[in-house]
Amino acid sequence: MSATAPATRPPAAPGSGALDGLRILEVAGLFGAYCGKLFAELGADVILVEPPGGAPQRRTGPFLDEAPGPDGSLTFAYLHSSKRGVTLDLDTADGQVLFRGLAASAAAVVESAPPGALDARGLGYDALGAPNPALVYTSITPFGREGPYADLPASDLTLMALGGLLCLGGYDDGEPTRAYGDQALRAADQFAAVGTLLAILQAEATGQGQRVDVSAQECVVLALENAIQYYDLEGTVRRRLGAGQRQAGIGVYPCADGHIYLLATTYGQKWDPLVHWLMDAGVKGAEQFLEPRWRTVEWLQQEEAKAIFLEAFLQLTLPRTKAELYAGGVERQLPLCPINTPADVLASPQLAARGYFAAAAHPALDRPLVMPGAPYQLSATPWRLRGPAPTLGQHNAEIYAELGLGPADLAHLRAAAVL
Amino acid sequence: MLGLPLRGVRVVDFTWQGAGPFTTKALADHGAEVVRIESSRRLDGLRSMGPYRDGIKGLERSGYFANRNSNKRDFALNLKHPAARDLALRLIAQSDIVANNFGPGTMEALRLAYDDVRAVRPDVIYLAMSVNGSYGPERDEVGYGLTVSSRTALHYLCGLPDRLPVGTGTNYPDHVAAPCHATFAVLAALRHRRRTGQGQYIDLSQAETMIALLGPAILDCSANGRVPTRQGNRDAAAAPSGVYLCAGADRWLALSVATDAQWRALADELDAPEWTTDPRFATLVARHQHHDALDAAIAARTRDREPYALMDALLRRGVPAGVMQTAEDLVERDPQLRFRGHFARLDHPEMGPSLYDAPPFRLQGVAEPIMRTPAPLVGQHTREICRERLGLADAEIDRLIADEVLL
Repeated sequence: MSATAPATRPPAAPGSGALDGLRILEVAGLFGAYCGKLFAELGADVILVEPPGGAPQRRTGPFLDEAPGPDGSLTFAYLHSSKRGVTLDLDTADGQVLFRGLAASAAAVVESAPPGALDARGLGYDALGAPNPALVYTSITPFGREGPYADLPASDLTLMALGGLLCLGGYDDGEPTRAYGDQALRAADQFAAVGTLLAILQAEATGQGQRVDVSAQECVVLALENAIQYYDLEGTVRRRLGAGQRQAGIGVYPCADGHIYLLATTYGQKWDPLVHWLMDAGVKGAEQFLEPRWRTVEWLQQEEAKAIFLEAFLQLTLPRTKAELYAGGVERQLPLCPINTPADVLASPQLAARGYFAAAAHPALDRPLVMPGAPYQLSATPWRLRGPAPTLGQHNAEIYAELGLGPADLAHLRAAAVL
Repeated sequence: MLGLPLRGVRVVDFTWQGAGPFTTKALADHGAEVVRIESSRRLDGLRSMGPYRDGIKGLERSGYFANRNSNKRDFALNLKHPAARDLALRLIAQSDIVANNFGPGTMEALRLAYDDVRAVRPDVIYLAMSVNGSYGPERDEVGYGLTVSSRTALHYLCGLPDRLPVGTGTNYPDHVAAPCHATFAVLAALRHRRRTGQGQYIDLSQAETMIALLGPAILDCSANGRVPTRQGNRDAAAAPSGVYLCAGADRWLALSVATDAQWRALADELDAPEWTTDPRFATLVARHQHHDALDAAIAARTRDREPYALMDALLRRGVPAGVMQTAEDLVERDPQLRFRGHFARLDHPEMGPSLYDAPPFRLQGVAEPIMRTPAPLVGQHTREICRERLGLADAEIDRLIADEVLL
């Protein structure tokens, strides 16, 4: 941890995780990966159950050195860190027996098979909950377990479309574009984590588990800001605004080494500090922005106002870097920030001071992978990277030993392609 | 059957505006008693942002404010008054969780920082969710939702490679990244406390939660030395992957074709059997290489197709497809959201019946309703909280109001 961490944080006892003692069975699929990671890195024992051919994330780029391979996926390395991994073919009778064995001691199962698929294999909530009444059974599906769309196929892109977020993103003079990085899949995982932990808390208090039914489409709908309310209350349908300026003083502006984002609204009295900055920098005609019309949103949204402001503001930004402009904004208490690239994020002094990036070993590398670390800093039960993502079947021996399987049994099951 | 999972959990809620209230909404929706601290001397900024009921501005008419404040109570404590701190601490002493999303230093200035609060409630769970976290050289950056998108590279990564970056068009980190991570952390801390009696301080940076969702892009940079570029609607795992104009105004259909079987189904549905023998389109790799030509060919076929009918046909054939839906589509026509009961209509004293998001997951063992009360009016529950929680008589409450401690 950084030496500048505040003194109000007492040191945590070694091994203390808020989610210690919870075993989570994560069935590999389209969803669930980030959900399992959240649990694992606050102390849960998360077991990733992969088909013998590997979880789908193993085939998802980007790849280390752009070389696909079972351990080459950086997406897999990130989303499945801190978990142990077993292989299991859930279509086989032997595989189903083993899964039931593992589920008997689980606090939760997290799965994203098509609705009903695991039930058909005797691995649904009814089958697994009977011997383990406190079991929480979380199903993450594109649309929910039931309903007119329940059995329909989906992808991150189609969920963005059907969930309404695609409508708000992209170019007003061109196509709508989705959020980067499979955010519909990640949103479903985040909400699944919240729902699963709520149910686990309830199960620990009452002895009674339950199903948690997560709809990825609904998770996308939660991201729509005020679009639903604009329709409901004013009959207005919000659409994508595009890039560039939203009004004079709000938008993305080019600078010497990229772009910055400025949010100088009349709300919160940000306008005057901005004008004085322009004047201090010798921008010609900057005094005009002190005129009263520049305090009215109606004028600021006019194309003429945007053009005048843009011409002036570019005199400030084009000769200056993101870092210089950011420093100027801080000095003047203006909401201005750089449009960071991932490289800028990695080089951030703020994130360095926070000790944000974590290092995970990787089987094919002689140096660790540098990845985002703790998304929160808990004083008594800190986030912890427990280890790298598992290689395929890495923990078969130690986990199946709990069910009484020895090396000969494992060899037999491997030969039968159950593992 | 079970009741609401967080019944009996008490939250003193100093959050306002963006990410904070979505966090406490998740707690309130699932049964926690959430008391918002909000006086007319320092109103939640979202009350002054639209949309408004019937387009008429008013502090009790904002849908932007309302949606993220379901199931909460509102206590008009004027934190600028010297006597307010004592009342806040008395409320905190009976509560489990204290939450704020102020800039670092704000709660310290009010002498309601973690150490102050621990003195009256040693096992408190104290959530501080500022933009950049409570320490570090940039901790005092003035920021709003879109600045989190900018600083975390989300804005840079969204859009087309040959055009300006365009972000998500929303304050995306406020709605999903920060509140989900904060809620998860609070629930984890609650579990720890139930097992050990120990509370703790949660220092959450909204920016850090968003970067956590861009892990693969960060790794591509740190491990491969590449700066990932914008992808538009493309996807390495599927080709075609994109959006295609259909009949109507601004009616786009999103398609994701990951397998050759889906490709043949698409070609058949679009009456283009020649595509299946075109070497440019024969394999996923080939379709990626010729994606621009592919997009043009598909767009020519979708242009006069009714989007929902085409979507239904493709979905029935196993091809992931989705019409780009507007808010109107979601509210008026989406049959799945209707089946799920996603939009709750709650009757607000001034706004009347209006729509709120229900949680996007269902705890199927819980028999109690989730969406119970609309967003509160300013100070709506002040008297009842004074009576029930602080044991104050009406005369004392009147005096506090006259002295502007409650305002």
